[in-house]
Amino acid sequence: MNTEKNSAISIEQLRRNQPRFEGIKSGHRACLGCGQALAARLVTEAAGPDVVVANATGCLEIFTTPWPESAWHIPWMHSVFENAGAIASGMEAALKAQGKSTKVLAFGGDGGTFDIGFQAISGMLERGHNVLYVCFDNEAYMNTGIQRSSSTPHAAMTTTSPPGSERMGKRHLKKDILTIVAAHHIPYAATTSIAYPSDIRKKVRRAMDIEGPTFIHIHCPCPLGWGHDGANSIKVARLAVQTGLFPVIELERTELIGSMPIRHPKPVVEYLKMQQRFRHLFTTKDARAREELEHIQALADHNIKHFNLQGDTMDALDSDGADTVRRGGMRWA
Amino acid sequence: MNTKLKLTRGGFAWGDTSCNYHTGTWRVQRPQHEYRAAPCHASCPAGEDPQAYIALLDSGKPQQAWEELVSINPLPAITGRVCPHPCETGCNRGDYDQPLAIHSIERYLGDLAIEHDWAYPVTAPPADAPHIAVLGAGPAGLSAAWHCLRNGLQVTVFDEEAEAGGTLFTIPNYRLPDDVVRAETRRLLKAGINFTADFKLGREMNLDELQRRYAAVFLAPGVMKSSEWSIDGVTPRDLHQGLHLLKEWGDVGALPPMKTAVVIGGGNTAIDIARLLVRNGVDTHIIIHSSMPDPAHPLADDMRAMPREINQALEEGVKILNHHGIKRLLLRGEKVTGIEIIRMRKLPDDNGKLHRIAFDGTESILHVDQVIPAIGQIVDQQGMEDLVHGEHHIKVDAWGQVAGSENVFAGGDAIDGNGGTVTEAVGNGRMTAQAIAMKLKQQGLPVIEPPVVVHYENLNTEYFEPAPRAEQAVLPVAERVGETEIEAGLSVQQVEKETRRCFSCGSCLSCDNCWTLCPDNAVLKSKKMAADGSYYVFDYDYCKGCGLCAMECPTGYILMVEDI
Ligand SMILES: Cc1cc2nc3c(=O)[nH]c(=O)nc-3n(C[C@H](O)[C@H](O)[C@H](O)COP(=O)(O)OP(=O)(O)OC[C@H]3O[C@@H](n4cnc5c(N)ncnc54)[C@H](O)[C@@H]3O)c2cc1C
Ligand SMILES: Cc1ncc(C[n+]2csc(CCOP(=O)(O)OP(=O)(O)O)c2C)c(N)n1
Ligand code: SF4
Ligand code: SF4
Ligand code: SF4
Repeated sequence: MNTEKNSAISIEQLRRNQPRFEGIKSGHRACLGCGQALAARLVTEAAGPDVVVANATGCLEIFTTPWPESAWHIPWMHSVFENAGAIASGMEAALKAQGKSTKVLAFGGDGGTFDIGFQAISGMLERGHNVLYVCFDNEAYMNTGIQRSSSTPHAAMTTTSPPGSERMGKRHLKKDILTIVAAHHIPYAATTSIAYPSDIRKKVRRAMDIEGPTFIHIHCPCPLGWGHDGANSIKVARLAVQTGLFPVIELERTELIGSMPIRHPKPVVEYLKMQQRFRHLFTTKDARAREELEHIQALADHNIKHFNLQGDTMDALDSDGADTVRRGGMRWA
Repeated sequence: MNTKLKLTRGGFAWGDTSCNYHTGTWRVQRPQHEYRAAPCHASCPAGEDPQAYIALLDSGKPQQAWEELVSINPLPAITGRVCPHPCETGCNRGDYDQPLAIHSIERYLGDLAIEHDWAYPVTAPPADAPHIAVLGAGPAGLSAAWHCLRNGLQVTVFDEEAEAGGTLFTIPNYRLPDDVVRAETRRLLKAGINFTADFKLGREMNLDELQRRYAAVFLAPGVMKSSEWSIDGVTPRDLHQGLHLLKEWGDVGALPPMKTAVVIGGGNTAIDIARLLVRNGVDTHIIIHSSMPDPAHPLADDMRAMPREINQALEEGVKILNHHGIKRLLLRGEKVTGIEIIRMRKLPDDNGKLHRIAFDGTESILHVDQVIPAIGQIVDQQGMEDLVHGEHHIKVDAWGQVAGSENVFAGGDAIDGNGGTVTEAVGNGRMTAQAIAMKLKQQGLPVIEPPVVVHYENLNTEYFEPAPRAEQAVLPVAERVGETEIEAGLSVQQVEKETRRCFSCGSCLSCDNCWTLCPDNAVLKSKKMAADGSYYVFDYDYCKGCGLCAMECPTGYILMVEDI
């Protein structure tokens, strides 16, 4: 390491010489502290340059391509909201016909994945295309102004699931997309979170190495839609994992083959109270608020039991250990 | 670039072109690297910065770590053994699991330097540089001399003893072996310090003569006179002071004959003489009106000795009668046969001032052959009577300057308000050498401001893992005989683990968090060190000011500041 202090470091030069691959460049228009922007950065970094991307409509598509500009450093294509799976399938078939080994990535939000793009994705998985599909889950249709999706968690407030006299935010449950996707009998389906960048990288590399359809589901806090300070995006994401509300797991075919153990499960309230979308649960007068808090805690407890998430020892790869830092940044490898 | 490509509006854009747009214009606050002092640094009386040398050690640079350490404290093998380590009380890691074993790391580096005979890093002062006289070759004097050298001044240390080291030689060998004192002081003198032995102020020369001959004088004579002690004016004929006995033991290896003894006092000297007596088969009590210290609940009237020393003394069989005092001496002729003791405490009066209260009806008799006071020492004013004016200590300002004399400074045990530790002595020596250097350059002495400290709440401890603190091996009580040092140093493996426990409070750890987590690629990594001392640079063209990097920086090194 060069320890000579240097006040005249050229920013231009530094930008060109970063010791990492950047699939998405600066200047994109994501909100301050956007979890999805970070997740997409980490995914494309780990996937490397030999990829093409099919992107569904949504925040990621919009904030990276303010015409006539683009933040993409890799071949990228957008068609419509509902067809990323179909476009990716076509790209893969074309590359195959040309004898190329370039990997096809398909990106979508939770709306584009859980709901509107789902049949195209299902077809892609069923036909066995060699595509890595990444769902950036910010738990609502954010790009059009925070409408509920089938990924929105129970009791969360969105513009189309407002709390009021009838109900306390979203009435229904968050869809278990991973199990549905895995039911296509695909070789690899996993969840991960921006709170654990090494976990994202590890899973992307794993999926890149698999010939066939793979699926990665990333939990991405949205400061605007969830109502938290952008500075807290990682903190919120970490709490989702540590409470058990967002299980970090891996499925092969349909079997659970790995999970990030939770060392000390935290009460869900710690997670919920950081976000305005749950603020109606903290009104002291409404008995329904208490009931919903208990309901959400029960959902977390259920996840912990169902996916066997409770850790029994201190584990370097559990919810507390997986983000441990070392001098020199070695852990992010 | 293929410019012939024709596509419809909205259909195509060249990659990377978003960089033309500067999202930095959105920003209302800006992240900034900001060094803040680690609490270990802020609480070290010598002024050491453990964070800095631990970082170097953790980066695999032990010699540089030692050089960083001795740039402040030239006696780490010594202080690593005997300092009460307030740095560890301050250490942020204490709020998480257990404080870092800073003193053990300090000792490790000191011992490593002895083992490898590393030379103290300093360039010789120019031949025409001002010459400073230092009186007393204890830690205060030696530290002052070292820092005079580092400030480009010539320096001579005078001491009445034949060897440099001062009271360090009185600290018993089982805690601080004389060999360690010699190994460190001799190498330090070799760095370019002139040493004149067998020179007693008031005998060879008086203070005013020293003042005339040298550009400045630093007085570090320690406290060589025992405070007077009696019970209602009565003292036994064969009274031995604790410090005197310790010195005698050090010099000739013998003690006056006795079977039972009571030591009066609650400081290091009391504990050390009691432990020495027990080692020599004497049934020994310590009597003190203070409380036994409990690090978790410090009290104003706690015994002054270090809890570690007190515990080891108890393990070895020293009996401590705290909250007790002596009411009367039982004498046969002028020889002690026992003492009448009474329970007493120091309690606050209406104004909160502590004063002693004895509790009637709690008197009892203790049969002893010797009563050994170890209640404190005062300055021996020989040769500097005009300066001390019959006081117990020398009065100085925050920089160590003696009031009313331009070129006389003082430090160490001899000055008023000093807590009587080696580390404070070292700190006084360093500050005063700086003051002398500034004065000689006709610079004014600035007001000393406490540093801005990074607190536990400023860190993000999500990124650290619990890990047990490294403990030095201690000899079992049965093997603590004679002079053998009872605590061993840490092994290399232990030190490696221990340095990794450091949170690097307030200084960049090069963990890559900010670089990894910025959603806007607005943290750039640099091979060359940036002006602020880190290897990361903010790209303000794109930084939106979200604050995520500051929140996720484990060390509290990034601050968000307004930027409108
Ligand atoms: C038994 C004992 C145990 C201790 N244990 C600890 C401990 O565990 N941890 C700790 O931090 N501290 C301990 N201390 C205190 C520590 O030793 C002192 O705080 C420290 O040595 C003070 O340093 P100094 O340089 O001010 O004085 P000293 O070390 O006392 O040095 C003064 C020097 O000045 C010389 N001198 C004095 N007068 C004259 C004169 N007129 N002419 C020439 N030379 C003169 C003396 O010969 C001596 O060399 C202990 C002290 C004792 C006695
Ligand atoms: C068929 C169709 N319906 C609606 C829209 C409007 N629309 C564009 S983006 C979007 C929301 C995207 O939500 P999601 O997929 O969750 O991604 P996010 O923006 O939250 O990242 C909607 C409803 C559209 N473009 N096409
Ligand atoms: S953790 Fe390290 S830097 Fe922080 S106070 Fe403790 S020793 Fe100092
Ligand atoms: S994370 Fe990036 S955009 Fe946010 S404040 Fe830090 S440097 Fe700026
Ligand atoms: S996040 Fe890590 S690399 Fe960045 S400034 Fe803080 S300590 Fe340094």
